[in-house]
Amino acid sequence: MSEPVPIVDASMPAGMLEGDLVRRARKGDLDAYDELVKRYQQRIYATIYHMTSNHEDANDLAQDAFIKAYSALKSFKGGSTFYTWLYRIAVNKTINFLKQRKNKYHYSLNDLDFNTENNPDLVALISEKTPVREAGLTELQKKLNEALMKLSEPHRMVVVLHDVQGQSHEEIAEIMDCNIGTVRSRLFYARQQLQSYLSEYAKPA
Amino acid sequence: MNENEHNFEELKKLLKLKQHEVPPPGYFNNFSGQVVSRIRAGEAGGAQTYVERLQSEAPWVVNLLRIFETRPGLIGGFATSLCLLLVLVVVFADRSDVASKNLLTVSDPSATMGSSVASMPVPSLVAASDSSGIVASTNPVTSLQPVATLFGQPASGSLFQPAGFAPASQ
Repeated sequence: MSEPVPIVDASMPAGMLEGDLVRRARKGDLDAYDELVKRYQQRIYATIYHMTSNHEDANDLAQDAFIKAYSALKSFKGGSTFYTWLYRIAVNKTINFLKQRKNKYHYSLNDLDFNTENNPDLVALISEKTPVREAGLTELQKKLNEALMKLSEPHRMVVVLHDVQGQSHEEIAEIMDCNIGTVRSRLFYARQQLQSYLSEYAKPA
Repeated sequence: MNENEHNFEELKKLLKLKQHEVPPPGYFNNFSGQVVSRIRAGEAGGAQTYVERLQSEAPWVVNLLRIFETRPGLIGGFATSLCLLLVLVVVFADRSDVASKNLLTVSDPSATMGSSVASMPVPSLVAASDSSGIVASTNPVTSLQPVATLFGQPASGSLFQPAGFAPASQ
């Protein structure tokens, strides 16, 4: 789900570049914007979903983020890449939403895909704990989401972007509008917290 | 940092489970279509609130408001400094008024005379004469010179005519 999306989409005519799509969308070309949405929908959705642990909320917020980005396209100066700018909108929207909700979480978790059981790391973790693999994974998924939701929004966001989505420190700093040192310290603290919440599964080496 | 990274290896493996959480099959097939149809329906224009517009046009204002939101003490300090600034402005404005009046006194004697004559409470003098039989001299003072000295003491060489009262001759 969070695998890198190519910058140039082969399905687009003449492999249209992101910059061209943005320029066209700015002029009101909704087909071009549709292509931009298709490029980033999975990553934006996944980020919001991992932050909220709720599929319906993630759906609404992801759509809102894309709509807001379209309405604000004229203010996009091109100082960063479009996707960083889009991420920033999505992240701010999500954090504002979570603040309004005031820690009242309603879980609506997505199903695990079929590849989960083929992941050797996860299999190793589960097989040590529970004899029934499927039940173990579901339980682990629930505990993992609960542990993530115990983190503050900025700490959770850093963990999601780095450890789940695979973004670099520099990208996260740009998305979250803070310096790299802050990203590193937040990541370290968040991991420590998670490790203590999930001590049953994740022990320090 | 490497040691820390090593310590978190188990946790990072665990977090990989999140990558396997996927939305229902076919969910993304119509996602962009829904976004575009909402834009066509006109949501994009009205979706931008005042705060959002402010954020895009003057982000420093929003950042300042956020700082105030997280540190309420700062807003008190900011308000206090604003009040102090206002008081200082008022005080300095008053002082500059006094200074400019003094300047006028030194440079334009007729202005001083004019103002002192104009500010003389004539009706009260008349009332005083009625009650005590003494009237104030209403002779024009022609030889009065301005007294511009330190601490209000007349300078030795300055010319002035002290005001006097004489009984009314009837």
